[in-house]
Parts: sequence; structure tokens; C-alpha cells
Amino acid sequence: MLFSDNVRNAVYYHYSPTHRYSVGIEMVEDKFRIENYANLRLTYLLDRRNTDYSQQNLYFQLGFSSNVSDNHFFGLHGDWETRRWFAGFNLKSVETKAFKYIDQCYQVGVAPYLGDYGDLHTWIMVKTKKFSSEKGWTTYPVLKFFKGSTLLEFGFDKYNTWDAHLMHRF
Amino acid sequence: MMRTLAILLLSVNYAWADGKGEGNETSHTGHAFEKLVDGEKLEVDPSRFSTFLEGLSDCQVAVVSVQGMVCDFCARGIEKMFRRDPQVKKIDVDLSKGKVLIAYPDDSRIDFEDIKQKILSNGQNATHLKILHI
Repeated sequence: MLFSDNVRNAVYYHYSPTHRYSVGIEMVEDKFRIENYANLRLTYLLDRRNTDYSQQNLYFQLGFSSNVSDNHFFGLHGDWETRRWFAGFNLKSVETKAFKYIDQCYQVGVAPYLGDYGDLHTWIMVKTKKFSSEKGWTTYPVLKFFKGSTLLEFGFDKYNTWDAHLMHRF
Repeated sequence: MMRTLAILLLSVNYAWADGKGEGNETSHTGHAFEKLVDGEKLEVDPSRFSTFLEGLSDCQVAVVSVQGMVCDFCARGIEKMFRRDPQVKKIDVDLSKGKVLIAYPDDSRIDFEDIKQKILSNGQNATHLKILHI
């Protein structure tokens, strides 16, 4: 998984032994603290509700960094989706020797058409996020595409910074 | 639709499992036809199903109802999981109906518990199974 926004660039490779949890390594270029480090990350599925038309998930996330400022984070990620609608959030508390802050992100989306299995799928989304190190919220549109085992998501905010997210499932 | 009905009429056997975890190989020749005529729905997309059946013969198709299968990207894991099973001749996912279609050789035993476990390992729940003999 490749991820880039105004705070960091990251490459994340993870493995899921079961659908309950995954472990992975994330290589981070931190634009805020101007340093590079690796995160050892654990994601655990706290709850999943499947229905005929929807799925909702709640995950706990934990990460430890290799950098000298001894940072670690933990957080919650939740989402609910049908084939047409999506809503999700991400709350992340980050602690370092120098800083302690909370990242918040909320996202809603709609699929403009319902593709079949194997088609190109598209989501039009709105993301709003706030880092406690910054003033105010940033809200911006996001487009998400996926086809087969590859997903591409990108957004563009008012500060002319890009969010980009590329994921491939092996 | 007509093509699917024709395929169903030509089906030699039809069996069903009630979703309580038993691999049901019991055939109900003729019985199934009555059920279908009486309105029991196969609940698959007809054109998708007939496309799936192309090239298949002497096999049985497990039509699995799956909860939580709302996303193509997430359902990929189901396909990959079943493709590892050497017994599986073909697999397809019908997102619109929430079904997974799996073709097995006619002489293989379809174990619903195994199917449920495979789908659960991808994070969804298999709730119901119907078996069609083609």
C-alpha cells in the first residue's frame, strides 16, 4: 500500500493470517517532523457485522516506531458500507517524546453506479480531517477507483496538497 | 431468462442444504423442478448464471448466499481462496445478489462447513447453500 498526504508519505506492507488481524511494516517519510522511520503496525478487528446488504467494521490499530523520538500510536478505525453508500472514521492518538496529538478523519461516499464483479468500481467521497497540530478542519473531495485487486484513491485539498492511496491485494 | 429456465429444466438433479452446516448431497430428482415451478427462487442473476455455466458439464454448482459481500475488492479474497481448492472447477461472484457460484466435479462431496469456513476466513458469512447438478 502506498499512501501520501500533506503529513506523510508511506509504504505499508501487511499480512493477514486471519481476517481478525494483520501485522505489517510501514516505512514513513514524516513531512511534519522531517524524519524517516519504520512503524511496526498491528490491526485487530474488534467487531464486524455482516448483513445481506451491508458490512460494518471496527478496528483497533497499534503501531510502534523505530525512530529515535520513540513514537507510537494507537487508534480506532470504523466503517460501514453498502454497495451504494460508505461512511467511515479514523481516530489516531500519536505520542512521541516531543509531541502528543490526535488525528481525526471522517469520510462519506456514494457509488454513482453499481458495477458487476470485475468491473471498474468508482466512489465519490468527501473526506474531512483534522490534526490537532493544525488549526481547523480540512474538507475535500476524494475519488476512489478499484478494479480487481487494485485500489486507487486520491483527493485534492484547498492547500493544494494531494491525498493519494494505492493498494494492491496479493 | 429463457436460457436459464432451459438449463434448469435440463438439470438432472437438484439438491439443497438448509444452511445449518451439513454438506448436502441428497438428490431430489424432479422434486427440485416442482419447487422451482412452485416459486422457489434460485436468486442468481440469470444472465450471469448462464454465462457461468458455459463450458461446464458433469458438474455440480454450489450457489452460496453470502452476507457482507458488498465490495468487489473485498470479495477478491473469496475467489482466491476457492481457486486454491483443486476440486473447484470454476468460481464467480454475483455482488448484486450476494451469491458465490462454485462449480465442482459431479462426483465430489460439497461440504458446506468447509465453504463457510473459507468465506469466513475472508470476513464474510455464508448463510445458505443450494446445489445444482448440471
